[in-house]
Amino acid sequence: VDSKPSNSGHRSPPLPVKILIAGGFGVGKTTTVANISEIPVLTTEAAMTDLATSIDPIPYTPEKATTTVALDFGCITIDEEIKLYLFGTPGQDRFGFMWRDLTAGALGAMVVVDTRRMDDCYPAVDYFERAGLPFVVAVNMFDGQLRHGLDDVRWALAVPEQVPVIAYDARVRLSIRDALLTVLNRALAADN
Amino acid sequence: MDDGGPSRLRPFPPAEPVPATGDEPPAGASGGVSPLRPYLLTGGRTRPTADPPLELEAQLVTTETGQLAVARLAYERCDILRPCRSPLAVAEVAAKAGPMDFDGSAQPRRRPARPPPRRGPGARRRSADAGPPRGPASEPHRDRPLLERVIRGLQAFE
Repeated sequence: VDSKPSNSGHRSPPLPVKILIAGGFGVGKTTTVANISEIPVLTTEAAMTDLATSIDPIPYTPEKATTTVALDFGCITIDEEIKLYLFGTPGQDRFGFMWRDLTAGALGAMVVVDTRRMDDCYPAVDYFERAGLPFVVAVNMFDGQLRHGLDDVRWALAVPEQVPVIAYDARVRLSIRDALLTVLNRALAADN
Repeated sequence: MDDGGPSRLRPFPPAEPVPATGDEPPAGASGGVSPLRPYLLTGGRTRPTADPPLELEAQLVTTETGQLAVARLAYERCDILRPCRSPLAVAEVAAKAGPMDFDGSAQPRRRPARPPPRRGPGARRRSADAGPPRGPASEPHRDRPLLERVIRGLQAFE
């Protein structure tokens, strides 16, 4: 019963903390998690079938062949005792049942936005507002370009002033890091 | 898996997930899979015994007893105990061990990460002397020192 773990007497397992990466289909959540995670991102992805395509059409990114149906999972070692986990979560209402579990204990969330399909992120914004989870709106710059001003994005989403609206590039590691830092700083500010 | 193909993924989850009731739905209900197999895997348990249930990021570590037992075990049990020699998160173990099959409460239905039967060899989520399980708080974190530490760590990340 009292069997010691393999690393008995050395140190306890790391403390897990997490940040959620939310947003609609095809906004770059998987890319975001994959480009900063130190482990190969674990993704439950399935090819979009014709049926799924009719349910979840992605008219503006027709070249996207697969889409995430469950979650992406990545990890960053903060120090010897803390591991930061990133969960990329589906944005659709029909996956909302997962969010309660994912939100519990989270440090904060990043809502990834594609300005061509702004309304895809409404459910995530609504959910985090109601859950009281600090979050940041992060506009993914597809092809390195920002198509709309951040003020316009803020207006369209109707998020309050204290919620940061930033632009980042899901293909660039340091850009993702800075976006995550914005989430954490927002969480610190929300604590006051 | 209905398609019988090599994919370890379902095409997509049920369109209208059943709200979690705490009751484990019969495993055969959704896909023609025999309920016998999950029954054997969980040692007959039909609901989580951990209270509160394990979080997706909770850390699992194989005990010494578990390590000794690995050679005797096969399939999923082995797949779970072997990688957990160093701490791994529930989600990581689940993703590596097989199909993720959500039952409506974000718990892998195959429950590879449930605490083992008390006397059995198995993974534990904490070391014997580590105090309470190292799971996250149930509310969003309001721990300033922790937040500051994560920020410092992330700033050093390149």
